[in-house]
Amino acid sequence: MIRTVIVDDELPARELLREFLSADEDCEIVAECANGFEAVKAVAHHDPDLLLLDIQMPKLDGFEVLELLDRSPIVVFVTAHDEHALRAFEVHALDYLLKPLSHERFQQVMERVKRAAGHDRQPVAGLATSLRAKPLQRIVVRGEDGAIQVVPVSRLDYIEAADDAILLATSGTKLRKQQPLSEIATQLDPDRFVRIHRAYVINIERIEKIELYAKDSRVAILRDGTRLPVSRSGYQRLKELL
Amino acid sequence: MATTTRTALSRGALALYGMAAVTLAATASSAFFLWARHASPGLAVAAALPPSLVLGVIALASRFLCNALPLRSASRSSIVIGHAGSAAAASGLWVLTWKSWVPTLNSQMSAHLDPDYSLLFGLGVMLYVAAVAVHYLVLEIEALREAEDEVLRYRVLAREAELRAFKAQVDPHFLFNSLNAVASMCGSRPLEAREMAQRLADFFRLILRLGALERITLAEEIDLVQRYLAIEKVRFGDRLTTHIDVDEGAARCMVPPLLLQPLVENAVRHGVASMVEGGTIDITATLEDHMLRIVVDNPADPDRTDARGEGIGIENARGRLSAVSEGRAMLQAAEAEGQFRVVIELPR
Repeated sequence: MIRTVIVDDELPARELLREFLSADEDCEIVAECANGFEAVKAVAHHDPDLLLLDIQMPKLDGFEVLELLDRSPIVVFVTAHDEHALRAFEVHALDYLLKPLSHERFQQVMERVKRAAGHDRQPVAGLATSLRAKPLQRIVVRGEDGAIQVVPVSRLDYIEAADDAILLATSGTKLRKQQPLSEIATQLDPDRFVRIHRAYVINIERIEKIELYAKDSRVAILRDGTRLPVSRSGYQRLKELL
Repeated sequence: MATTTRTALSRGALALYGMAAVTLAATASSAFFLWARHASPGLAVAAALPPSLVLGVIALASRFLCNALPLRSASRSSIVIGHAGSAAAASGLWVLTWKSWVPTLNSQMSAHLDPDYSLLFGLGVMLYVAAVAVHYLVLEIEALREAEDEVLRYRVLAREAELRAFKAQVDPHFLFNSLNAVASMCGSRPLEAREMAQRLADFFRLILRLGALERITLAEEIDLVQRYLAIEKVRFGDRLTTHIDVDEGAARCMVPPLLLQPLVENAVRHGVASMVEGGTIDITATLEDHMLRIVVDNPADPDRTDARGEGIGIENARGRLSAVSEGRAMLQAAEAEGQFRVVIELPR
């Protein structure tokens, strides 16, 4: 049995998938979700084999949903945008379906799904992040309690490395996310975010001033008074930008 | 570039001609007065030429004052007082030149010139005023020519904007998603599917028909928008609600076709669609003091990604609007506290 979760913010689109799936005896729908938050919850709860995932949705898009998953179902994107469909393969989605859906194509994709089911799969999360549209506009974080937060990069003050995770600093609060600093540093807009130190990436719009601290070492003072160390190479990068 | 050099050249030539004309007129008329008072014609002209040259230069310089006191915007009293003052000063200077010039001439040529200075003063004032009148005439002609250039520029802009608007009129993904909804209803609700297909066809026919017209009534545009929203409501269900309020006078106003449709499409695609709970698109149109005011209001997630498309839609609408109204209309888009609002003001 292929246990399936359907995710689409439009009811008629969900209905069509439901109709196609109910004609397939090997499939069972375990949840229908109207947005990305519900999808993340449903996957955590049901641990499905297959995720039929719309891409353009409010708050959390399909790519962001993938990033937040802690399980790895087979993913098939369902979208009206062919340009997204191309990226589907980059995030190791099994396949994609274009709207309006063709039943024949749906059946072909389901054959592929059945062949792939039971085999070991590459985890989709993580890969999704590295291949999202650049520069990154929002960062999605899943807290320890499972709550999902969406942080627009414009609200970031700086990002701090903490072991193998990062701390996202936004007006006084710090959100922890499991991701290397070097990875996120390459996804941010290079005209706005600079790696000033091995452990810090800074939003240059928040810088109040740079002060000489000791010979060859400087400190960046942010608008809110936070002081962050600036390495020599970090200072070079800052100078090039400012 | 070419036009500016052309006007600069003709303006310089015009100034020289103007100065020559004033000098000539002043020389001729004042020499005539001297001749009437028994001076020989040659002497009269020789006596009149230098002061007249001075007046010519002053008359030319009065252009700066005309520029500073434009007929359209300066108050009438400041124009009258300004020019009366400078006319008196100019004429005074012209008489002063006469007074210092005539005695030297008398002694050198052992002639006896006895000009009537009050008459000369009056003449100076008249010539100055004539020069000012000519300056204003030239300024008006230039303004007129610039206005014509402006109209031409707007026409070119209008054509370009129409082309762009036609291409960007309807997002193809709207069609793909709507057809997906039709496909979905075919199985369980065939009658509704048929109706939806009909609605889509009617909407696209209307787009083609209205798009070919120069101007349509706001009522027709609203009808198009309502058809569009009815289709989107099938997809979005309860998430999309609409409120449309158009007063009678506004409904009769003429607007460029497909002005609102892309803005409302934006309101759905980047507004209501970005909200998990959806929201209401609010369209109001009023006519007050010959000003048509249209407001499109919708909720939008401030953290939504990909805001590029909406900017293009608004720029297109703004371009079309300024093209058809020759710059008198206004379109403002603003976002605050999760509400996105577009305001259009179009003089009737």
